[in-house]
Amino acid sequence: MSNAREKKRAKKMRNQPASVTLSSDCGPCPSGIQHHNGGSRSFQTPKQDLHPDSSQEFQQQRHQHQSPGPSYRKEQYFSKGQGRGRGGWRGGRQNVSQEMPKYITASTFAQARAAEINAMLKAVTQKSSNSLVFQTLPRHMRRRAMSHNIKRLPRRLREIARKEAEKAVHQKKEHSKNKCRKARRRHVNLVVEFNRRQKKNIWLETHIWHAKRFHMVKKWGYCLGDRPTTKSYRACYRAMTKHCLLQDLSYYCCLELNGKEEELLKVLARMCSIDTGPTFAAVPCLSGRLQGSLVLYRADRYPEDLLGPITFIWKPKDGSGITSETRQLWIWTHPSLKQDILTELKTVFQCSEPVETCSPEPIVTLLQEEKQTDVAMIVGKKRKREDNEGEKAVPVKKIIGDGTRVPLESYCWTSQTTGVVISDLTMEILRYRLIGPLSHCVLTEALKTASIQTMADAETELNNWWVENCKNSEKVSLHQRQEAIFELLQGINSPSEIAAGTILGLTVGDPRVNLPKKSSKAMPNPEKYQDNEKVRQLLLEGVPVECAHSFIWDQTICKNVTENKIPEQDLNHMRGELLVPGSQLDLGPCESKIPILLVQQPGKVAGEDRPGWGSGWDIYLPKGWGMAFWIPFIYRGARVGGLQEGLKHSEYKRTPHIPNDFPDCPAGIQFAKELENVLLEKFKRRPPAKRANYVKLGTLAPFLCPWGQLTRDWEVRNKAQEESVVTSSADSKSGATERQVPCEPKPGLTIEDSQGDIMEEMAKIQNLCKEDGAATSSGFFVLRNRKLLKQLSARCRPTCGKGQRVRPASKLGQKEMTEDALLSIFKCYPRVLVWVSLSLLRKGSPELHAMICIPTQEDFLQLNKDQLFCGPQEPKHSDIFKHKILKLKERKKKKNNGNALESGASDALEAKAVEEPKELILGLWPDPLPDVTSHCSRILLGFVTQGDFSLAAGCGEALGFVNLTGLLHMLSSQPTDKKGLVLLRTPASLQYRFARLNIEV
Amino acid sequence: MAEPAPPAAELALRRRLPPRLPRRPGDVYVNMQTDFKAQLSRCQKLLGPGGGCAEICIHGLGLAINRAINIALQLQAGGAGALRLAANTSTVPLADGLEPQGDEDGRPPLARARNNSAIHIRVCRAAPPP
Repeated sequence: MSNAREKKRAKKMRNQPASVTLSSDCGPCPSGIQHHNGGSRSFQTPKQDLHPDSSQEFQQQRHQHQSPGPSYRKEQYFSKGQGRGRGGWRGGRQNVSQEMPKYITASTFAQARAAEINAMLKAVTQKSSNSLVFQTLPRHMRRRAMSHNIKRLPRRLREIARKEAEKAVHQKKEHSKNKCRKARRRHVNLVVEFNRRQKKNIWLETHIWHAKRFHMVKKWGYCLGDRPTTKSYRACYRAMTKHCLLQDLSYYCCLELNGKEEELLKVLARMCSIDTGPTFAAVPCLSGRLQGSLVLYRADRYPEDLLGPITFIWKPKDGSGITSETRQLWIWTHPSLKQDILTELKTVFQCSEPVETCSPEPIVTLLQEEKQTDVAMIVGKKRKREDNEGEKAVPVKKIIGDGTRVPLESYCWTSQTTGVVISDLTMEILRYRLIGPLSHCVLTEALKTASIQTMADAETELNNWWVENCKNSEKVSLHQRQEAIFELLQGINSPSEIAAGTILGLTVGDPRVNLPKKSSKAMPNPEKYQDNEKVRQLLLEGVPVECAHSFIWDQTICKNVTENKIPEQDLNHMRGELLVPGSQLDLGPCESKIPILLVQQPGKVAGEDRPGWGSGWDIYLPKGWGMAFWIPFIYRGARVGGLQEGLKHSEYKRTPHIPNDFPDCPAGIQFAKELENVLLEKFKRRPPAKRANYVKLGTLAPFLCPWGQLTRDWEVRNKAQEESVVTSSADSKSGATERQVPCEPKPGLTIEDSQGDIMEEMAKIQNLCKEDGAATSSGFFVLRNRKLLKQLSARCRPTCGKGQRVRPASKLGQKEMTEDALLSIFKCYPRVLVWVSLSLLRKGSPELHAMICIPTQEDFLQLNKDQLFCGPQEPKHSDIFKHKILKLKERKKKKNNGNALESGASDALEAKAVEEPKELILGLWPDPLPDVTSHCSRILLGFVTQGDFSLAAGCGEALGFVNLTGLLHMLSSQPTDKKGLVLLRTPASLQYRFARLNIEV
Repeated sequence: MAEPAPPAAELALRRRLPPRLPRRPGDVYVNMQTDFKAQLSRCQKLLGPGGGCAEICIHGLGLAINRAINIALQLQAGGAGALRLAANTSTVPLADGLEPQGDEDGRPPLARARNNSAIHIRVCRAAPPP
């Protein structure tokens, strides 16, 4: 108790002036005076030896000199603040008799008192703490709204509070715009402000709409909506499944390649492999009928050095028969992958010279907003004006919204040798995504195909391209065919009924014209479902090649359309002038015609459950028309999702998300690092007692998946067994060819010609791996070879069991064969990861970075015994670093006590942490991790990269990667009815849970 | 990766969703994934008081025909003679998407047509037997 008191007092005295002690040479002064204001340090004086009882010591000293002399009374008055209420009166009186001075010298005594008084006055007036005055008041004296109203403070503090308040006002003024709100909200000023704010992170055209309703994040050079501010997790899921979810994907980057078809194909073939699926040369894609998707690698580096997944669209051929004609190819990438892909494309095509016409000259700004910026420059204030002039010096900024492009750099390159032109069309074309079965209704209700127009408006350029087009009867008929197909969409219940990646070009009228007065939900119209024959033809044969044609490919037309957009204001003005208020606005020939492109997005294609889930349409628009299309979609009942919804969409589709789930591409590595930092910061923010101790939980890497180490450890693990495997695979190979059986890895789904083909494939891969064996061993990569994945997928399934159809006996033989074959492959693929999906058998929802482990025989026995068996428990580990950390801490404390203050200490600590490569954090394993596979009681196989309770499946589901070597090892030892069963453990738990592993191709 | 093009026959079949009419409140599409009991109780709820449907239509396609019939019969058995069934069979044209696995030529069709049987059972509340 007394200890606490002393502490309290010491704290109080800390702010008292310690410097005002009377020098010792003024001999006649009674020594008791020194103690009075000298603070705790000057307590020990020879006189006190008379009072050795230390507990009462300082109280006595305080009152030692209360009575002597009238001048002391004054001092007493000042010291009241400190000494009031303390005991020890009696002791004081005792002292008086002993310490009564014989005489005092008035002048020195008065001087000393004056110095003290001055110091005390100074201490009283000056506030040493950081807090405001009213914050220093004791709790019972506080009043409501004290900070707002000075008069609620005790009178003695009002003066100080007034000063503080004034200061705060001053500070605020510095920050605030020195304009009234009305001026700030004036349109021109608002636009200037908006342009300033989107200099660093580019805004999409729907930014303002999103910013009002979404949590915005700055990512990849853009400002993007992360998730709605309203509670809508489940609503967005329902929209994807049953209604329509809208997403703005305009931040995706488009790279355009122009050149001779052969030239393009020849070079692009080096960047992708046919093993991973159809490439750029696939016939339906090449003709321009379908959108293709593939993964790009660095040239000739397959299967390593992944660049990233892309989608691509070929512009349909105009004339037929000529093969060497110039073709246009769009490659759509994620912004985080764009730079890698662009530089690789440039080197592969040897495109280095920037094209003159596209060099970063001040390009005429196309958006209306930008035009108004100039107006604002004239009208606005001086400071703003300077800003704008500064902006003018960097004219590239004027290219509307590209966040990924370095300013002052060209965006169009050509090659002398091949004549291929690469141009960066980022933000030139907008892209919206509609997901869900009602997207047909939303599309067909919101968009009306353009009417045929033969008379042009002479004054403006508006629609002159369309008039030109309408003069050609062939093109008119093409437009009508496109229109007919578009109308047919109304009679189709779900986008997944149409061929994946179907492209439909279209020219539509201004969607703002037929905007309904009230927002409503577009519902399917049963009457439209009558036209059965045509619909069936569309479903079977897809959209004809000609109908994929769209004017959006032509940049001059796009520019024309963007420039000649009727402003919203004018449109509203025209609406206001209608004779019958609220009636349909008919613009006649003045109505803009906008070329668009509709691309079907396949939903869930892999796997057997929920086929076609989450399918929808992507709509490509010329820039500048973003909001004009956005609002009509929303008025037709589309719900809007952000990045989080996009993540969930891909999770439920069980497809890898970009860039989270591409650990072998640069963007994926970057993403993982950023995620680790975020999670680590979050972890460190909590006090050690309130956070999970991952060392005790046996989680080596809770924030980052150590793929490299996982694959390396598995390689080491297998070296021991290698010899036996070599012998077995050698003799099994000859046996395998004998035992050939026509196989269907996915029964009923695949038409595979022969097993020998696969064997060939394997031999090829083996050779390939031998060739660059050194390179393979340096890093890991993800297996994307479809044939091998299919084989693996077939092997992961239980051959007999509850709910599973028993497979014919011949299949079993085939499986053995593949086992041997696969075993021989994995030797060549020592460091390969496989994308797997997991669904939990019973309870549990997996989390990010959950561990995928191999169950032991005992676990299966228990599962057999008890159907409700949830899973084994991991025994608790001991934290071997705890005492080390404590020691370090103590040492630091000692050091810091010696030289630095408390605030300095934390700085020093941080500095030290930066210095030391091996930073010890309580609850985390320091960096050189031990063998990750065998650290816990169950052998580690891989990690989860996406995991949550799946609303679609009704149980916990996870997606992640496992090591191929480990997977094969596991499968070979598992009983047939328990094939593909693994254990999942979240990082912050000791409980393992059973999950079924699936590889979906 | 200069590789000879794989043979033209290499295609993957992907089943697409069967065509469907827009759903009315009383339409029940029976499938094999959902638990039988759940589907039965859903129908009972629709027919029962507060369900809001005087008649429901149970659709079953292919393998689910059996189950659709089962559900209808169970409903009738549980309805104590108050329910009347009217079954209709039909043929549903299905399309299976053909996905090329390589870049081979040969212009394969995008889809293959196939037919499957379906049953549509109307279950309505009959006038209480005299």
